[in-house]
Amino acid sequence: MRSHLSSRALWRAVIFLVASLSIGCGTVRNPSLERARDAYQKARQDPLIVRNAGAALDRAQLTLETAEQLWAKERDVNEVEHLAYIAEKRVEIARVTAERRQAAEELKQGGGRP
Amino acid sequence: MKQNKIVYSTGHLNRRTQAAGYVSLAFVALIFFASCSTARPPTAILRNAELEVRAADEAKADELAPADLKNARDKLARAKQAMAAERYDDARRLAESAQVDAELAGAKADARVMRQAADRILKKGDAPPSDAESESRKPLSPSPKME
Repeated sequence: MRSHLSSRALWRAVIFLVASLSIGCGTVRNPSLERARDAYQKARQDPLIVRNAGAALDRAQLTLETAEQLWAKERDVNEVEHLAYIAEKRVEIARVTAERRQAAEELKQGGGRP
Repeated sequence: MKQNKIVYSTGHLNRRTQAAGYVSLAFVALIFFASCSTARPPTAILRNAELEVRAADEAKADELAPADLKNARDKLARAKQAMAAERYDDARRLAESAQVDAELAGAKADARVMRQAADRILKKGDAPPSDAESESRKPLSPSPKME
């Protein structure tokens, strides 16, 4: 009876351990990485940014991909949060660059007028 | 019999000290390799960050994007402190962050200058014709009020 109980407890512990490990390996989320991904996807859907600052947006994508790979492989929280910050700022740079080019375009068209 | 026991116990002690020796050796090696992986001072990254902050400064980011420029400057200062303390990973991350903050500050400053210029030109180009449009439908003259 006693051994039966303890083996049941052992099984439960094993199942719990395996379950928590598989959850840990599968879907641990990193909030700053998700924020960066959201910002990037929003920018990717903005035709003004894609048209006027495609290269800047691609740089953001590159950093984001590096962060995602590092998160999947190594779970290096410090480095991933750092790269997520860089990616988010690169998205912002792309947005601002697009705004500048838009203004330059308006200036060119407006300046052409008498 | 007694002697045997003593021999046994010293042998046992030897084995323990040997094990402890191996463990401490492994520990020292671990520390050595760990320090090796971070022992490269990120000098170039720090200099790049410095240049980017200077570029943002030259783009008048202190007037047009002061918060981002301040971020960049603060991080650059902290990167230098980390560098001095030989915390090279921290120094690298701070310098990279400072660089991207400075880049953003410069980009914002450039965008604002361009936006102001565009608005000024468009106002100049738009306002007089809108006055003139009530008088003549084709405002070709730059100063219709002179007419």
